[in-house]
Amino acid sequence: MNRTFTIKFGRIAGILVLVGLLSGIFLSLAVNVQEVYAAEAVQTASADTEISFVDDDGRQISLDAPAERIISLYSAHTENLYSLGVGDKIIGVHDTSIYPAAAAFLPQFDYDADPENIIAADPDLVLIRPFISRRVPTLVETLERAGIKVVSLYPNSYTVFDDYIRKLALVTGASEKAEALLEKYHQDLDNIHAQTEVIEDKQSIFFESTETDLRTVTADSMPAYAIEIAGGINVAAGAEPVQAGSSIAPFGAERILELADEIDVYVSQRGAMNAGGNLHSISIRPGFDTIKAIKDGRVFVINEKIISSPTFRFYKGAREIARYLYPEVMDDLSTYLTDAPATKRDLANILLRSAHLPIYSTSSSSYYTQDHRGHIYGLFADTDWTDPDFDAIETVVMRGYVDWDLEDDQEVYHPEAPVTKEMLAKAIFILYDFEAAEPGFEITDLADCENPRIVQTLVAHNLFPLEDGKFEPQQPLTNQEIVEFLEAAKVKQETVAVP
Amino acid sequence: MQHKSFFLFSLILLLGVLLFSSIAVSAQDEAANKPVILVVSFGTSYNDTRDVTIGATEEAIAAAFPDYEVRRAFTSQTIIDKLLSRDNLKINNVTEAMAELIADGVTTLAIQPTHVMNGKEYDDLVAEVQPFADSFESLVIGAPLLSSTEDYFALIDVINAEYPRAEGEVLVLMGHGTHHFANATYPALGYMLKDSGINDVIVGTVESYPDIDTVLKQVAELDPKKVILAPLMIVAGDHASNDMAGDEEDSWKTIFKAEGYEVEPILRGLGEFEGVHNLFIDHLNTAIYGTDEEGTEEE
Repeated sequence: MNRTFTIKFGRIAGILVLVGLLSGIFLSLAVNVQEVYAAEAVQTASADTEISFVDDDGRQISLDAPAERIISLYSAHTENLYSLGVGDKIIGVHDTSIYPAAAAFLPQFDYDADPENIIAADPDLVLIRPFISRRVPTLVETLERAGIKVVSLYPNSYTVFDDYIRKLALVTGASEKAEALLEKYHQDLDNIHAQTEVIEDKQSIFFESTETDLRTVTADSMPAYAIEIAGGINVAAGAEPVQAGSSIAPFGAERILELADEIDVYVSQRGAMNAGGNLHSISIRPGFDTIKAIKDGRVFVINEKIISSPTFRFYKGAREIARYLYPEVMDDLSTYLTDAPATKRDLANILLRSAHLPIYSTSSSSYYTQDHRGHIYGLFADTDWTDPDFDAIETVVMRGYVDWDLEDDQEVYHPEAPVTKEMLAKAIFILYDFEAAEPGFEITDLADCENPRIVQTLVAHNLFPLEDGKFEPQQPLTNQEIVEFLEAAKVKQETVAVP
Repeated sequence: MQHKSFFLFSLILLLGVLLFSSIAVSAQDEAANKPVILVVSFGTSYNDTRDVTIGATEEAIAAAFPDYEVRRAFTSQTIIDKLLSRDNLKINNVTEAMAELIADGVTTLAIQPTHVMNGKEYDDLVAEVQPFADSFESLVIGAPLLSSTEDYFALIDVINAEYPRAEGEVLVLMGHGTHHFANATYPALGYMLKDSGINDVIVGTVESYPDIDTVLKQVAELDPKKVILAPLMIVAGDHASNDMAGDEEDSWKTIFKAEGYEVEPILRGLGEFEGVHNLFIDHLNTAIYGTDEEGTEEE
């Protein structure tokens, strides 16, 4: 057993070193190619204002000027165009485009339907990817015959992401913004890596790409890259692709169970390719109760859009993996230990970190066509997807911890509003499970509380001390007070038997 | 001498073959003639809950009808496909099950749906079985869980016994709800609970009436300290795990907690309860013997 492990480990280590060396060479090559290419592209654009390059279907693309009326038939293109600040040029999308939320409300077009629908909308550019031209071989020709430019782009590897973004920016006139975004993107990834690489006790992770046959990902895939950035040890690092060029790699229950003791964290990808699991559904698979991550409750479901899709949101996916692996390091609360009056923005961040909540994001393309009770993801007028705290705010609202308002038919969060004692009490009550209780004394201002039941219960559990018999529901809190109340609630939760 | 022994040996062999094949044929006849109960459920991809709900119901039916072979079919093709691809578990849909029964030479068939009410799933089942009706000497279909007035009162007794409530506790049952007119089942059950003097049990649905707002109003009138949530569904599957007990803002657990109630979600399907098994057994008896007392007409 030990010997097998040593041999395996030796072999895996060898492969890892080799992969590392090769990817290093490849990366440096790729970077060089990208730099040369970017220089060329920019030159071409500035020299005679003509845009010219070869797309990922191998077709020579020439545009006199950046496109103004774009139909995007791939969700990642849509998302990246919004990031590049040219979302207003998009006149139509494929129905899988649901991020940012505004994209979900654009006219929808389908590459499988009659191309006349697209032609009738009069776009000057249709963005596709090689998957679409392979699936509908006549599409490009039909659209081009109608005088519509078609550009097919898809980065096969994270190493050519920058190249892909630059081409997308070139055809839409957003090259300057692209450079700034790419710089920030790499800086964000570097920051995550810098935080995790110094951690000595490295955690091991299994990444489930599809529930079917329990497949994982290849070493050159985006999730594997995210694991690397996040400082994790990928227990399935040596898995071979299901077919050349694919990022999906067969693995199977048997091999997972062989590694049961080694898997600290189990991540399941949810999206179009995979239904994803949850702690319950994964733990009831035969034999899976022996996996360390399942015993420790460290099972996470991640939206494929933030981990496997070539968008700027990938850094969020990498950051999530790092949070799953090293919650205490990644969710450090020390910056909030101040007397600064807390805002609802701070509250969202502190809750997210204190309870290590996975960030919320939707993966269902029908999300915006369904009825929802409560807040609809991405629709806050005052904290949209460009807000730096978008994820924290959406997560705590989607879980019902923090309230929001409806003003002039628009959903608003009021991120700069102060945090009151009662606001925090409600968040704590929903986040954790407290047995209903009444204190043996009177809370003299209970009538002023919006939710007397919650206040009574938390006071009875000695979580909120009274001041002269009063709870003071409207009392504003500081960041440090929020951190301390939450830590106290967590400790009580761990000591109270939950039925 | 040699010829004689060869002849004898051949004769014994021949007799042996004849005897064996007649046994085999009669065994086959017996298998073919053995009556079958086909238990039809919506299905679930949650393996553990499937065994303790649908599986347990099937086992109880098998024990109550020892002369019958009990088989399984699901109506949800999505779940059937998922189980095949994920767990390599093959479960027939109704049409496949019927074709298999005919191929096996089964002539007496009783079908028992485990559906809660006489809704769309039940209508679809009856329609799907119809074309095969002439292929059986006897084909009967048992009624869904809540069909007669007595069924409602019987289920109320089961729920009352399975979910004891202390002072200050309210039980909220979450049904699925449907656009089918049979949705009236839910408010009827709520009405009959009150008629039975049980005021601390409230019935709601995920997708129809009574909706969560109606339930919240009824709970508020009782002003309980604690709300116990339980599925009014055969299986505690996806709806129970997410819509009832999930962590999102719109799960019933979160909605009740936001009102300040202590909440205890219980992930047990109705299919776990012996009293519910007995109701299905009663329905089968009625379908097979025309009475809910087993075999009284035959005796």
